[in-house]
Amino acid sequence: MNSPSDDADTGTSRRSLLAAGATGLSIAASGCIDRVQSVVDSDAAEQLSLSILSLPAADGDRESAEIARHLEGNLEAVGIDATISTRSESEFLEAILIDQDFDLYVGRHPADFDPDFLYETLHSTYEYDQGWQNPFSFTDTLSIDPLLERQRNETGADRERAVTELLEAIAQVKPFEPICVANEYRAVRTDRFDGWDETHLGTGRGYLGLESATSSDTEQLHALVTDQRLAQTFNPLSPTTREQDVIVDLVYDSLAVPTWSVPDEAEATEEETQAGAEVIDAANVSIEPWLATDWEWDGDTRTMTVDIREDCTFHDHTEGDSNDDNGNNGTDSAIPLTAEDVRFTYRFLADTTYGRTSSASPAPRYQGHASAVDSVTVEDDYRLTISFSTDRAVAERALTVPILPSGSDSPWIAHLESRVDSTDDDWSPTQGDWSIVTTDHAPPTGSGPYKYDSHDAGESVTLTRFEDHFTLRDDDHDLPAPTADELHFEVDPGTSSSVERVASGDADITTSVLDTYALESTLDDEAVSFVESPSWSFYHVGFNTHNTLCSSPRFRRAVSQLIDKQWVVEDVFAAEDSARPVATPVAEEWTPDSLAWDDGELVTTFIGEDGDVNVDAARELFASAFEYDGGELVR
Amino acid sequence: MLAQVLTRVALVVAVALLVSLVVFVGRDRLLSLRTEWRPRLRQSAPAFALLLAVLGLNRIMRQDGYDISQAYGVHMTEVFYSLEGELVLAFRAIATPEVTTFFSISYVYVYAFVLVFPVVAYFALSDTVVLRQLLTAYSLNYVIGLTFYLLVIAYGPRNVMIEGMDATHLYYASPEYIHLTTEVNQNRNVFPSLHTSLSATVAIFAYMTRDQYRAWFPVAVGLATSVIISTMYLGIHWAIDVVAGLILAVVCVALAKRLVGRWSLLALLERVRAAGRSEATSGSGRKQG
Repeated sequence: MNSPSDDADTGTSRRSLLAAGATGLSIAASGCIDRVQSVVDSDAAEQLSLSILSLPAADGDRESAEIARHLEGNLEAVGIDATISTRSESEFLEAILIDQDFDLYVGRHPADFDPDFLYETLHSTYEYDQGWQNPFSFTDTLSIDPLLERQRNETGADRERAVTELLEAIAQVKPFEPICVANEYRAVRTDRFDGWDETHLGTGRGYLGLESATSSDTEQLHALVTDQRLAQTFNPLSPTTREQDVIVDLVYDSLAVPTWSVPDEAEATEEETQAGAEVIDAANVSIEPWLATDWEWDGDTRTMTVDIREDCTFHDHTEGDSNDDNGNNGTDSAIPLTAEDVRFTYRFLADTTYGRTSSASPAPRYQGHASAVDSVTVEDDYRLTISFSTDRAVAERALTVPILPSGSDSPWIAHLESRVDSTDDDWSPTQGDWSIVTTDHAPPTGSGPYKYDSHDAGESVTLTRFEDHFTLRDDDHDLPAPTADELHFEVDPGTSSSVERVASGDADITTSVLDTYALESTLDDEAVSFVESPSWSFYHVGFNTHNTLCSSPRFRRAVSQLIDKQWVVEDVFAAEDSARPVATPVAEEWTPDSLAWDDGELVTTFIGEDGDVNVDAARELFASAFEYDGGELVR
Repeated sequence: MLAQVLTRVALVVAVALLVSLVVFVGRDRLLSLRTEWRPRLRQSAPAFALLLAVLGLNRIMRQDGYDISQAYGVHMTEVFYSLEGELVLAFRAIATPEVTTFFSISYVYVYAFVLVFPVVAYFALSDTVVLRQLLTAYSLNYVIGLTFYLLVIAYGPRNVMIEGMDATHLYYASPEYIHLTTEVNQNRNVFPSLHTSLSATVAIFAYMTRDQYRAWFPVAVGLATSVIISTMYLGIHWAIDVVAGLILAVVCVALAKRLVGRWSLLALLERVRAAGRSEATSGSGRKQG
């Protein structure tokens, strides 16, 4: 920081100082900015500068890039020196989730169907944690923390009230500003596989229970993904691989899975029937048994008894099982999946060092889930009891984590042992960034309906149907089973080429979400169509509250008023009605009236019109907390 | 998909090559190859080997290079953008679907042809020094260019400017080329433009050999210009990348001219062999002593 006193107060010297000061803005001052105390000693005047982290427009996320550009322009207009830093998807996530090296960013949040995802997103416990836990380093122990905890503990209508209060409080302090929720679009072709519209294609279940249109023996489903990392790393704990969920869902089983109900003609409400086009209903998500055959709550307590399917095994990746013609790929040596593995999973997610270090090192994903679990007790091989620290609605969400293998053959245990052996006594791995989290973890050992087969780093990954999976073996369920013999995910760099390849018959589905401009392209082929899936993933601006400027809620509120959400959904999202502006980050049915986009009284409005900021009014807004010097916002 | 595009490019280049060999090189020179290809190949073998080695290195660097540039690279996208602004959007003024098609073809087909034709044409010259210089210049372009790619991380205009890029965007116009270009280049490696430097290298050589190939010189300049403009028109490169590419071309040609012919690699090899022999004898001699 430049010293405030030793410069002559002439216009020219101030200019040059401004230029010099723009390079590094490291302010040691507290976040408290008050206009009254700022005297006219603008010798120290430094223009406020911010860097906005964003993705490449053509090869990344065009909508994010465009929103970032919109924000940059408006920040510049009010006199802030804003620059955009373009990073590849994985670098982007690394900067935000691991290094926490950013001022602002524009991107998508994975979110969830239940508002409890806000617990890990904002709770102060996670201030210094890496991963999707509180990337904003936000702390508000007085109002937000208690509300986050309350919504986990209340039931029914009480919980709804707690969520409403929480959302209203978040809308005031704005650790991040949600912009809009966009539907997900994928191109599919139906001449080889059909039934794409049965469930959400953003989950592994979208690839199960398909109808195979051809009768040939070897069928490969060819899917396209944009992120190279999907074909490089298979670590289910890695937070820096976007859109990894589909492969994790397919390779791993979880006790339960989120299930979207398809509204039945007869049962559908009038509203749903009118919506018509929307095949699956975003609102009707329920947690249904998967690996668990059933669970039962113990009286009024928060303890649940879970029965899991018997005789399930983890995939066997040992040598010599390539001969699966007889359908029995080495079952004899396969590791059985028992209640012990479930117990291991929850403990491991809560502490990836598994008690080898003095302080726990939680996994950078699934913390919201793992933190809901108090303890797991193994009753017998296939029965366990789980005690939760939260109410049942939140607790059931915890059942959706991937089950990892325990035992001496487990790659996780093996990795741990080797690390413990190779280091000194005072071993202290960095949470969220130590090798067990960052390793490629190939081949991944799960028990899911598809088994890892091979991959060509950065190019493609092939999964084969796991013939011993319970969905193929048992017939006491109506769960979807794997259809295609093989799933081949290939990296394709972008929306337009992906659509082109599906259209030309080269691929069956674009697994990655398409940029909306693709929807304008005309598809001549009857077998090709775009599938729309509702989403809760929201575009947002994230603030790093460890940055002095962004630590001020007044500043964050003012910045939020520079984003024209209505303009964004109309102009940035090419297809009509593909996105809706939001004032709060949760699914529609959880949105309180006060934060309803149309007429909520707590909705933050854009200061301007049609994407153009009203510069005078906006400057006035910032002038109430900051100071202007020759058109530049300074401190 | 990639295979299809590659096959098509190979076919088109092959046909163009046949035609242009007849037009620019002529029957006599081509016939001379029947008897002389062997000694000429032997003379230029080291230069070919060098180029192959460099291309192989490129292949390897695609993986490891990412980690290196992650660690040492400097992000320059915004710097370029703030320096030249929306300069490349100037080409929007001439944008029509036909022009876009023309420049897409330039970027993919013409570029491939421009690189291949001189190799064959100079092979048909009795003196192989030009061929060796050309191959060395290609290699230098790659080596220096790749070094910059490791150190400078920058996305091209198409990844920064959204509005106004649509009409002229290669990928929206002909997405099938994406596979080819991503195979060759990473999207964050734009500085300097190797399309520019290699095309310019060819044009400079065409100038140097205008006495042997009179008609080729203006054609080469025209083709190289269209390739260079295409990189900006399609939003792949900044004007800064293009300028850097031109400088790189001049430097590489100058270096190649200095290096090639100064010492013959074959002679050097002979000397090494001879030295090795004497080393062996003297070594054994020392042992005895």
